[in-house]
Amino acid sequence: MRKKSWWRYLVSLPILFVYLTPFYILLTVALKHPHDASSRWVMPGYLYLGSFETAINSGRIIQGIQDSFIVTMFTVTLIVIIGAMAAYPLARRISSLNKFVRILIMGVMMIPPLSIIVPLYRTMLFFDAMSTYHGVILLQLTYQLPLAIFIFTSFIRSLTPALDEAAAIDGCGLLRTFFSIIFPQLRPVIVTVVILTGVTAWNDYQFSLYFLQSPQISSVTLAVSRFFAQVNSNIGAAAASAVLGVLPLVVLFLFLQKYFIKGMVDSAVK
Amino acid sequence: MRSRKRINLFYIPVLILFGVFVVYPFIDGIRISFTNWNGFLPTYNYIGLTNYINMVSDQWFHNVFRNTIIYGFGSTIIQQIIGLSMALFLDSKFKARGLVRTISYLPIMIAPLIMGYIIFFIVQFRGGALNDLVGLFGMDRLDWVGVPNRAVTVILLVNSLQYMGVSMVIYLAGLQNIPNMYKEAASVDGIGPWNTFWHITLPLLAPALSASVVINLIGGLKLFDIIRALSPAAPSSGTHSLVTFLTYQYFNIEQAGYSAAIGVVTFAFILIVSIVVIKLLDKMEVVL
Amino acid sequence: MTHYIKRITQYTMGNFRFNVKIKELVSIKETTKLEMEDFMKKILVAILAIVLLFALAACSESEETTAPVTLEIRSNIPGAGNDAIREVIAAFTEETGIAVDFDNPSGYEDLMRTRMATGDMPDLFTTHGWAVIRYGTFLRPLNDQPWVSRVSSQIESIVTDHQGNLMVLPVDIDIAGLVFNRDILNEVGVDPGDIRTWDDFADACELILAAGYIPIFIGGADDWMLGQAADWIPPSLLITYDGDNHRDALLDGTFDWNHYGRFVDMLTDWIDRGFFNEDVTTADYDTLTRMLGQGEVAFSFTGNHAAMDAAGNGPANIGMMPLPAYFAGDTPSLIAGESVTFGIWKDTPHEAEALLFLEFIARPENVAKIAQARGNVAGFNGVEVDLGFLTQDFNRWSNIRTFPYFDRVYLPGGMWEDLCNTSLGLFNGTMTRQAVIDHMQQSYDSRLADWFEARGIN
Repeated sequence: MRKKSWWRYLVSLPILFVYLTPFYILLTVALKHPHDASSRWVMPGYLYLGSFETAINSGRIIQGIQDSFIVTMFTVTLIVIIGAMAAYPLARRISSLNKFVRILIMGVMMIPPLSIIVPLYRTMLFFDAMSTYHGVILLQLTYQLPLAIFIFTSFIRSLTPALDEAAAIDGCGLLRTFFSIIFPQLRPVIVTVVILTGVTAWNDYQFSLYFLQSPQISSVTLAVSRFFAQVNSNIGAAAASAVLGVLPLVVLFLFLQKYFIKGMVDSAVK
Repeated sequence: MRSRKRINLFYIPVLILFGVFVVYPFIDGIRISFTNWNGFLPTYNYIGLTNYINMVSDQWFHNVFRNTIIYGFGSTIIQQIIGLSMALFLDSKFKARGLVRTISYLPIMIAPLIMGYIIFFIVQFRGGALNDLVGLFGMDRLDWVGVPNRAVTVILLVNSLQYMGVSMVIYLAGLQNIPNMYKEAASVDGIGPWNTFWHITLPLLAPALSASVVINLIGGLKLFDIIRALSPAAPSSGTHSLVTFLTYQYFNIEQAGYSAAIGVVTFAFILIVSIVVIKLLDKMEVVL
Repeated sequence: MTHYIKRITQYTMGNFRFNVKIKELVSIKETTKLEMEDFMKKILVAILAIVLLFALAACSESEETTAPVTLEIRSNIPGAGNDAIREVIAAFTEETGIAVDFDNPSGYEDLMRTRMATGDMPDLFTTHGWAVIRYGTFLRPLNDQPWVSRVSSQIESIVTDHQGNLMVLPVDIDIAGLVFNRDILNEVGVDPGDIRTWDDFADACELILAAGYIPIFIGGADDWMLGQAADWIPPSLLITYDGDNHRDALLDGTFDWNHYGRFVDMLTDWIDRGFFNEDVTTADYDTLTRMLGQGEVAFSFTGNHAAMDAAGNGPANIGMMPLPAYFAGDTPSLIAGESVTFGIWKDTPHEAEALLFLEFIARPENVAKIAQARGNVAGFNGVEVDLGFLTQDFNRWSNIRTFPYFDRVYLPGGMWEDLCNTSLGLFNGTMTRQAVIDHMQQSYDSRLADWFEARGIN
């Protein structure tokens, strides 16, 4: 067995090369002095953090990270509560109405929200929700709920109904049954939902691009894109802002990768 | 569970959200698609089916439709092939296995927009990392995303490779669910590895395949961020997908009516494709 | 920062209340059927409450600013011009005590479209070439202002609508032609004054190419540069020559876009002869100014700001020259248009303060400061601007005729993007000559009705 595995290492090398190159190039660009015209493959032989200083001092990226953090936290919390509640009847009560609701939810999961951007824009203007936290949160919530409900539904189905039926016989109300019996059992799958929807919310660009139009509110992607789109762009600072923007999730992933990968499997394998 | 019809109230919040942010806008969108609204003035006229008729003769619409199909099905195919190969490769134990799995899953954490920008550092004509390599081998440097077909290929590959980890992990999970006794039985019977894969492993992976295909297909058809990062805003870049094209129509050239009409078509197209593919996959799972 | 914290607290308070409600509800000890119904009602109320709270939060935010007067000013001006504007604003606040909330956000046009759609405009804003057609209905006419008599006649007509209303205060005038690298032209022995027609220009490009430089650089990743070429060349083919032009046809909607084929042919010919950089569609403005400044590029179709930026990027001598003519009997010309302009929202609650701001900015020293940073002549008579290394060019070309931006006067609003789109299509081969012509014709025709309305023509 041992003798035969050398080729696996040989195959691993190009894979690692392909997947690490973007990160490596991003770092060399961010760490290089703007006037250093050497190849992007070459790490600078000196320490230069000026690009990071520029990126941080402009304030945009920090604001973007803060705003994305707020939006992600609220989105994820609401998704877990509203999504789990919605999944309960869909898992427990099989009726033609609920089948229809399930299909509706699946449908929303497939369609791109940008396909209704024109009327959605009008709707947001109507609610005065343009450039507000709640506006983006509600949009993210709506378009990410289907996946959460889907995951929760399959999980609740796998739970035995004996417990909640017993609770009902004891005269427990539905809500109490749900929050005291079902919800605690959802813990493992809540982690999954939090991770999947959290990553999407953090990395969102389409909603922030069109619905955050005021300088007072931003997002990670918006802040980074402003560095790249600027006339007279400073690519070092742009790369540095990108590094700062992706760092939180990358670090979280490296520490919690077991949960991330499990989350992916849960979402896919029913 | 008889008297518990009220349990259905639990999904009312979801229905309200869908009503406000999906169903109502969709219906409003159909209405706008029959107008010549420019997107910001309060006045517009109803012009019947003109926007839909224009779509038929709009060469850019044909181009973006083709691109959307390439992005959707192209990434799905690439991701299945590479994802499944990676999963098979990583299914057996060796020391670097964890590292390879982690690293190839890592790009999923990066916002696709930012990934697009990073790739631009690599494919840029002047100073791009790829052209440095090309130069090293004595070849002429190329403007990788400057020519439509090449740019479409680059975008397709970036999307496929960034989200390859999704398929890989799903297939890995599928492989680990296959009881070892099947493989052992096969090797006892003297069935070669190729036949084992084709006749035993693959059929047992059918549910994983369905899940992976659906997720990748939906992701590819919705592709937006990477195109925005790697292409100019104008559709003559030849790289646009339906969603980038319709946002261009609305925000750049003030054709909100036309944009809404393309939106309706996109909505219907993606829904139909997804449903057909899901039905086909269900059938396939039964046959296997 | 404080504003930020305020918003966060507002925001979390709203949600805090909701969370308390949930907790209260969950901890109900004995849930009866009645209570259950009650609960569902409460949940619905709570969800509506969230929506309302959010809406309230949004409203209260906008009310905050009413106490002391704060003028909201938005601008699209980048770079050195922006720095100069900020200085002038700081001086204004110091002198008058009126606070200013100023920003020059990226994606300015999209942002302003949103705000037009909501009917919520900044108190003052820059109009980037669209003072009359796009923003006209949102602007307060300024004819009654004390500084109007000093506005230069060269720019006055451009920012005045068909009823004679002056829509904005024009700080400076964008007079532009080709930005060129003087060292390269000297090396190949061409004097810019000798480039009188596009044929002369092409001959010069051949010499430059033979000498190993890039004749014309376009950074199409910022696709305004593609549009600029398609905006600045056609006037010489369709507008400037008195003996053969289509001014009236363009304006009255009868223009036959087959005439635009002349431009397409010229551009295609230049592409075939290799006059452009290889990465036209992916290079950016930054690369242009760097290569221009370091003496690798000879010409670019960009405003004087590119000359300023290039000069800061390398040792090369940069200059500005008029655009060549197309017809042998015609003469070269320059493009003149809006540069930095400030207009007042007609429904602003702070009209008096906004007018005060315009009076302040109209002072000669403030006009001069911004114009100089932009490398432009002032929009006011009697204001001298030190144009630095461009002074010799401005003096040399002072007798050259100026024409307005092609798309701003002769094309319906929204066609700027068509210019960018079709040029890109010619460069990357996705559009044929006929496709370009058809595209322009179709877009032109479909926008005529709105355009006539905006110009007050029935």
